Formats: sequence, C-alpha cells, structure tokens
Amino acid sequence: MDSTGEVSRVGNPMRTRQPRRLGKATKAGRATKADRAGQPGQGRVALLFLLPALISLALLRLIPAGVALVDSFFTESLLRGGRVFVGLGNYSDLLGNADFRKSVGVTLLFTVIVNPLQIAVAFLLAVLYTQRATGSKFWRSLVILPIAVPPAVSAVIWSVIYRPDGLGNSFLDLLKIPAQPFLTSTEQALPSIIVLLSWIGVGYWMLFLIAGINDIPDDIHEAASLDGVSPWRRLWSITLPLVRRPLAFVLVADTVSNLLVFAPVQILTKGGPNGTTNLMMYDVYNRAYAIGDLHTAQAEVILLVAVTLIIVALQFRLLRGDDR
Amino acid sequence: MAPRAGRLIAGVFVVPVLLLAGCGGGSSSSNTAPAADQGPQTGTINVLGSDNAETYAPVIKAFESANAGIKVNYSQVPFDQFNSTLQQRLGAKDSTIDVYTVDQPRVSQLAAKGFLVDLTDLDAKTKAATSQASYDANHFRDKLWSLPMWNSTQFLFYNKSALKKAGVTPPTTDPEQRWTWEQVATAGKKAQQAGGTKYGLLLEQAEAYYQLQPLAESLGGGSGITGPDALTPAVTTDGWKKAMSWYGGTFASGLSPRGIGGFQTGPVFSNGNVAFFVGGPWDIGVFSSAKVDWGIAPMPYFEGGKPVTPTGSWSLGINPASKQQGMARKFIEFATLDTAGNLATTEATTIIPANTKSEAQYLPRLEKLAGSKSTGAAEIVSYEASKTAVGRPVSVGYIQFEEVMGKAFADIRNGTDAASRLETATSQLNEAWKSIK
Repeated sequence: MDSTGEVSRVGNPMRTRQPRRLGKATKAGRATKADRAGQPGQGRVALLFLLPALISLALLRLIPAGVALVDSFFTESLLRGGRVFVGLGNYSDLLGNADFRKSVGVTLLFTVIVNPLQIAVAFLLAVLYTQRATGSKFWRSLVILPIAVPPAVSAVIWSVIYRPDGLGNSFLDLLKIPAQPFLTSTEQALPSIIVLLSWIGVGYWMLFLIAGINDIPDDIHEAASLDGVSPWRRLWSITLPLVRRPLAFVLVADTVSNLLVFAPVQILTKGGPNGTTNLMMYDVYNRAYAIGDLHTAQAEVILLVAVTLIIVALQFRLLRGDDR
Repeated sequence: MAPRAGRLIAGVFVVPVLLLAGCGGGSSSSNTAPAADQGPQTGTINVLGSDNAETYAPVIKAFESANAGIKVNYSQVPFDQFNSTLQQRLGAKDSTIDVYTVDQPRVSQLAAKGFLVDLTDLDAKTKAATSQASYDANHFRDKLWSLPMWNSTQFLFYNKSALKKAGVTPPTTDPEQRWTWEQVATAGKKAQQAGGTKYGLLLEQAEAYYQLQPLAESLGGGSGITGPDALTPAVTTDGWKKAMSWYGGTFASGLSPRGIGGFQTGPVFSNGNVAFFVGGPWDIGVFSSAKVDWGIAPMPYFEGGKPVTPTGSWSLGINPASKQQGMARKFIEFATLDTAGNLATTEATTIIPANTKSEAQYLPRLEKLAGSKSTGAAEIVSYEASKTAVGRPVSVGYIQFEEVMGKAFADIRNGTDAASRLETATSQLNEAWKSIK
C-alpha cells in the first residue's frame, strides 16, 4: 500500500513528460504521410510494439477501475449470500454516514493545510540551496535524505518521537516547554501527521523546484543585479514567475500524493482520536479490510477519485488562467 | 497544460482503484466436506500467524521429524495487521496460505465467508482432546471449522519493590481474596506518589476488547452483543458505561499512560515504570528475565460486581484455496490434537495449551517458570478456567465488532466521554452490520 503511494509520486513526472514526446512523433508522422501510404504494414508494427504497454494498461489499470465502478453498485449479504444490485445505494449510504462525512471534512482540511505548507517550504529551501554558498550541496542532500526511508518506516520512527515519554517531549523538556500529547489529542494529531509527511515530502518536491531554478538563464539574474534589483524583488519578480511550470507540476502532484496518504495514519493513529485523522484513503482501507464491506469501500474509492479530480481540475483552471 | 491534466487525472484515478483490485469479496457459500483432492503427500506447506517464528519453531521441528518429506514454512504478520491481511489474501483466494491461525471469536465470520475448510470429521477427536469451552469456540452452525491450539487467561502482575516503597501490602494469589479495580487504582496512585513508578496501572492490550470485556461484564454490562442472530449492539448498558468511564478516568488522572499502544506495553512493566500490569500467561515467560522484582495475583473485578476473566485464544484452520490440504490437515492435527505436538507449541512462548493432556503436563512447568515469582500461577489458571472465564461473543459480526470497539476504546482512552462514545459505537455497529444482515 505504501509503495503504491510512492509509485504514484515517482510516476507522475514521467507521465507528464510523455505527452510532449508523443506530440512530436505525431507531427513528424503527419509530415511523412505520403511515404507511409506506401508502407501499409507500419501502423500494424507500431501497434505491435505498443501492445505490451496497452495490455498492461488495460489489465492493471482500466479493468480494475471498471471492476471497482461496477462493484460499487452492488452489495453482498454475508448471511443471505449473493450479490444484489443496489444502484446508487452504497453511495447514498456513504453520504448518510456521519463517519464518512467527517472523513471528507478531515481530508479537505488536511489538503488545504498540507499542500501550501509543503510547497512554500520546498520553494524557500530550493531558493536557499541554489545560492552559491559553501556546503549548500551538503545541506541539500540532508533535506532530501528522508525520501530514502519508506513511508512506513518513517511512521514507525515518528511513533517513537511522538510517544508521551518519547523523544519529542524530551526535546521540548530541554526547551522548558511542557509535555505535549501529540497523537493522543484531537487538536494535535492531524498537525503531527502533517509535520511527519512534510519531513518526508519537502525534500522531494524541492528537487523539482531546484531543477526549475537552475533552468533560469544566469543572464536574467545578472541583468537584474546590474539594474540594482534587490534580492527580494528578484525572488518575487524573476524566480517565482520563471519556475511557475515546475511549481504547477509540484502543486498537482503533491496534492494527489497527499490525498492518497495511508501508511502514517494506519501506523500512528488508526484514524483517531475521534476520527480527526481519518483521511479518506485510510477510511477506504478500513471499510474494505477491517469492516469487510468491499462494495461500499469501492463506492468510496470512486468518491475519493471524484474529490481528487475536482481539486486537480480546479488547480488547472487557476493555473491556465494565469497563462494567458 | 490541458493534455497534462488528462494524463495526470488518469493516473490519479487508477492508483486508489488498484488498491482494491485483485481482492474480490469472499463468497458466502460455506465449504462442505473436505475437498476430494488432498494434494501431494510431500512438499512444503505455508503457515501464517501473528506470533514470531520462534514460537512455532519447536512444533515445526517435531512435526517435520515425524513426517518425512513435509516441510513447514511459517510467516508472521504483525497482530495489528493480521486480520486485515487475512481478509485481503483469503478474499483473493490466495493459495499460498495453507494453514492460518484463527482468533476464536472470528471463527463464525471466517466460516460464513467460506474462508475455512470444514473439519467436522475431526469432531469426536476434538471433543475428547479439549475443554468444552474450547470445543464450542471452534464451532459455527454445528460444524467444526478450526482446531483449538491454545487457551488463555489474565493475571494481575505487580511490581514488588514499588509497592513496598509505597507501604502497600501486595495482593495474594488466592482467587477468593482477589482485589477490586478500586483497590488497584488506590494502591497504584500510592506507588506513583511514593516515587516508585511513573505510572500506577497499565493493561497490556489497552485498546483491545479481549481485555476490556471483563470490565463491563464484571459490572453486569454483558458482552456488548445481543439479539437472536447476535447482531444487535448492546454497549450502552449501565455496566459498559460505568466500566468505560472508570477506564477513561485512569488515563485522565495519569494513573495509566496514553499513547503507548499494542505490544509496547510489556516493557513498561519490565522496566519498572508501572506498579500494576494486567497481562497473560505469556508475560510470565517474558518477565522472567526482567530485572524488576514482581509477583502475580488474579485479575481484579469491580467493587459490587462479580469476578470475570477473559479466555480463549488461537486455533488453527485450513484455507479452502490451499492445494495441499492433506499435508495441512496433518500439521494442524499434530499441533492441536496430539499431546506432544500441542505441548511443543507452548515451548518457546508461554501460553496455555488447549489440549487437556498437554495442559496437565504444562501447568507445573508454568508454575516454576519464573521461580518464586510465578508461584501460584497454575492454581489461578485452573480456578479462572472453571469459575470466572467468559468467552468472547459468538457472532458473524464479531470482526466488525472488534474493529469498531477497538477505535471506541482508543478514543475513550484519549479522553472522549465514555457514554457518548459508546452511543457513537452503537450507530457505527449498526452501520457495519447492515452489510451482513
């Protein structure tokens, strides 16, 4: 499950590059249309080469997605047996369920806080570590290091930190700050998870922004400094607008990966206390494998995808508006 | 940007869906009679359980030397994830599990879902080998679905030096002189104040129904499940409310620590950080090497209530998707119905064997396990088994019940009002059981 989250994160940048390459190929194809007419077998050969990818796409992604959608319209009784078509029954059950509604609320709150926070910190760190200062590469590596730790292992490490008699409170004690309840309090549990996820995520997203910043031609900065532009102004008027594309990618990819957070919740809080960390992805898992109601869980997956699509579409809307 | 969006969205869509794929729901048809094809006579069978591999090493060794050509490969899934992992793999008809450990209250649902092979042909043998309670616990709809491997009870462990420092006379091993929870709380507080220990009281499985059911039952609160089909929640009885508000209070007052979960609790006692610890026979083995000086007493009850102790443990069952059921049956029979085999399952981890003959050989060993510290343990085990033991309820909805109650206990522990949280649990149970009825 954790690895799936990981894959989606790593996989996204690849997916965004592909369309460009494909786009070029089609243009080239159009230019030589006349030549191609003389070689009717070429399309078939291309299809043959594409076949493994298409088959795995269908087998691993499209069919399961279809199965989930179909399953979400059915229900199964353990005592009476048999699959019964209930139409949108599972969906209306979910919408009438207080725990589910709370889970959506928690997920939205989490999304609104965690993404801007992670991106702002990642951007500031990226700016900091692209300055030509001694040791900046070393510090940069330290920030990236947590990516090497699987999310489940990070969660276990942080469970020791967050224990009431753990490292976190010992550290606060050094600073003469009273002991905090962390994961056992309804107010602090979600922020504690956000801190943990940011510890893992910020370094990763920073990488993309560093690449973006390094792509900015040096002469623009040189011209600006010749004109006597202040560093703050340069950050605001040069760096930020010119990394807008990687920034947009980071925003969308980070949002998606945060909507699918699972391992830390499962390991640290199990959605508690009082459902304050019951993110939708965990709620889906809980419904499917702890409660064992697979059909309602499939319905919730579909709703989770819907929520994700709405948020991502909204983000693209906003970004496109900027482009013009 | 638009094509990018399209691809990303496609990516977003499939990821969560994948998580649920490949695990089609369990069929509700029950398995009847052992499958005709028992599979090969030799080879390697896979056993899945939640205990560490050392626990099963002795029985596997004994079995392999008695059955040439059969190898047993044991894999551990941590307890916290065990039930959901099983649900996932059995639902996907995963044939790489031949034998798995079955938590006894889950027998009914696992059997109803078709996740267990019918073992009714071993009924008479099982009845002769074990106690009535163990025999009953493995039945569902008059059929035998799993073979009882272990049994359990709970003790009150106390830190001798901490109580001495606080001037508290420790409880005795005599079940008739059993302490009340109120006495334990008062003495625990004294030990904390005297500076002997950081905490006064800790239950080993602080958020588990197994250990908390006796609290409610002691006050006459019932098991929490009623109704003709055992699918009606009853966790808002006076007994449940009173027991749970007392329990929540022990954390609010600092008598018990919050945030220490699952199986991190034992070390709190063995490191001398808590005065009283409620734990199982397995802890006698674990604590025998602890530096702390400790003693043992029967599990407490509430003042004005009756003594109730938990019982039951793990059984062994066969996965219907297994292609090697013949060898699997040989193994589970050896580990449960065979006196020496069953005894071997309790060699590395201290746990009471379910086989009556094995138990008779085992109890004197338990008594001596931790020297003078564990003196009296055997007497407590026998007394509780015959007088105070109350099993977990038999219901096809038990799996959901345990999950929902586990979350409620965690919230009550973290400070949520017990009465209102039990009300919430009731509606959550009704929701969860809707899909079963």
